[in-house]
Amino acid sequence: MDVLSDCLNGFRIALSLNNLYLCFIGCLWGSIVGVLPGIGPTAGITLLIPVTFGLHPTGAIIMLAGIYYGAMYGGSTTSILMKIPGEAASVVTCIDGYQMTLKGRGGAALFISAWGSWIGGTLSIVGLMFLTPVLADFGTNFGPPEMFGIYLMALILLGSLGREFFKTMPMIIMGMLIGTVGVDAISGVFRFTHGNKDLFDGFGLLPIAMGSLGIGEILSTTGESMVTIVHKIKFRELLPTREELRASVGPIFRGSGLGFIIGFLPGAAHVFSSFASYVLEKRLAKRPKEFGTGRIEGVAGPETANNAATGSAMIPFLGLGVPTGTATAVIMIALLIHGVQPGPLLISEHPDVFWGFVASMYIGNLILLILNLPLVGIFVNLIRIPSRILFPIIILICLVGTYSINFNTFDLFVLLGFGVFGYVFKKLECDIAPLILAVLIGPPLEMAFRQSLMRSAGSFSIFFEKPIALVLIISSGLLLAWNIFRGLRPGKASWEK
Amino acid sequence: MNKEGTLGLIFLCTGIYGLVLSIQLSMGTWKEPGPGGFPACLSFLLCICGVLGFVGARGKSKGKPRIDRRLASRNLAPPLKIVMVTLGFILSLDKAGYLVASTLYMFVLLFWISRYKWWLSILLALGLGTASWYFFGKVLAVQLPKGVWNLY
Repeated sequence: MDVLSDCLNGFRIALSLNNLYLCFIGCLWGSIVGVLPGIGPTAGITLLIPVTFGLHPTGAIIMLAGIYYGAMYGGSTTSILMKIPGEAASVVTCIDGYQMTLKGRGGAALFISAWGSWIGGTLSIVGLMFLTPVLADFGTNFGPPEMFGIYLMALILLGSLGREFFKTMPMIIMGMLIGTVGVDAISGVFRFTHGNKDLFDGFGLLPIAMGSLGIGEILSTTGESMVTIVHKIKFRELLPTREELRASVGPIFRGSGLGFIIGFLPGAAHVFSSFASYVLEKRLAKRPKEFGTGRIEGVAGPETANNAATGSAMIPFLGLGVPTGTATAVIMIALLIHGVQPGPLLISEHPDVFWGFVASMYIGNLILLILNLPLVGIFVNLIRIPSRILFPIIILICLVGTYSINFNTFDLFVLLGFGVFGYVFKKLECDIAPLILAVLIGPPLEMAFRQSLMRSAGSFSIFFEKPIALVLIISSGLLLAWNIFRGLRPGKASWEK
Repeated sequence: MNKEGTLGLIFLCTGIYGLVLSIQLSMGTWKEPGPGGFPACLSFLLCICGVLGFVGARGKSKGKPRIDRRLASRNLAPPLKIVMVTLGFILSLDKAGYLVASTLYMFVLLFWISRYKWWLSILLALGLGTASWYFFGKVLAVQLPKGVWNLY
């Protein structure tokens, strides 16, 4: 009952004119970002972080989270109408969604996609609402050994679920190394600063994220053009038939459950969930060979799953302070800039931030449902904006946004440097996202490790005396060993195949 | 050298750099771990990953795509231009002020890289530079540099 009364209080906060406006801006910008290929939800969030500097933390997280789940809605529009995924989680929607468009059923696909996204998103918010306080309560009993176990598990899982373990793990290690730059919180010694006072606080998290994801992406895609064949949809064509509605019910509810569970996993959970849902629906279908020819199940399930994953991805981030993906990592950076620390104490110390955010997710999902269908024509035409005019604008926003943190041109050099970094690693087919997460998780992992040893007077037994820490560390070790064994086995195809 | 080899080399060089600097810091004791221990371990692991990656890439180089240097150089031109121009913007920002620097920056990007006509580039640069100055400087009240002339 406490949860419900807190949630009602959250609605009181979220329904204020200012927060409603911010939620709307976030959802609208998220839909735009979802439609435009090349700008994913993470880049969309980082671009708007500087705009939040003058806002209350509640308003800031409402707007930024709106971008996150808004992008999931927007990404499906171009996938279905143009076979161009707006963002990674909508790739699988292209398969059957575009086929439905060619058959003249694109409107129905958009309708089911929007409804499935709303149902999946709403159900996952219910889970978020009940599970996060439980996890946070559990987390308040965690000491440094348990936190070390959680961070270690998160990083090993991130490595396991990456494209290639032997490329992802070194990126994670490199990210943790980058995170050590600056003053050591325990001893006060400066590490890797070379006497540069601008590095005393380390590299800024925002320039790293904006540089590697924003600038890096632009450097990689400059000059690429898009084929823009836009299939127009009339409003009356949006309604699905009874058969299509009936066929969507099962995939929507299965997608909600599957997406919610997968959302907990570090890495690109919303991408995994959409693929997993597609595979599941194909396995359960009476005529699986028809998948790929325009089956509504191939749209309903994946689109529901990727939206359901956004809610559950917030649970470890808000409840334990462990971001599981780049989007939540960037939202965490924004909250830290506002002086709000996500974690077990968030709900007790900032209940207005947490419950206002939860309530705004309900409202935001409703706004997106109402926004996306009537405005589909406008969103789709956005893709016609030439990239050669978009990229200078995006770079300028990144530059000004970064400058506005500390009003220091050194941050701009960091931004550009990590932009080059992101470009180089993208060309080498190496994902930069795990590095960003590791920069965020590395310092608290080191802190937890050193504090554990200081408490136990140098004895490693502290990690084995605490049951939760023991389970997490052993699981991490086993997972690491399994990944190394799997990678070293001769003739083994990559997990992607 | 193929992509895996290049990656391995990057990891190895980064690991060596980190190791050299971290061993100069205090390692402390197990009772009170010093600031050098954690980065030293990470650097060591990175060196191992780099060596394994580099050696493994050389062993598996048959059938793996090698980096086409000519194609890579050609594809490098637009990003390199963007980086150079952006560097110029950053270096001139404090002296020229945001409005002048951003307008010039946008003009160079639009004319030199996006290949718009000169008059269109000027118009767009003036519009975008002024709009961004107004939005960030006045609406969001970000303290943008005014330059040495302090005209606005």
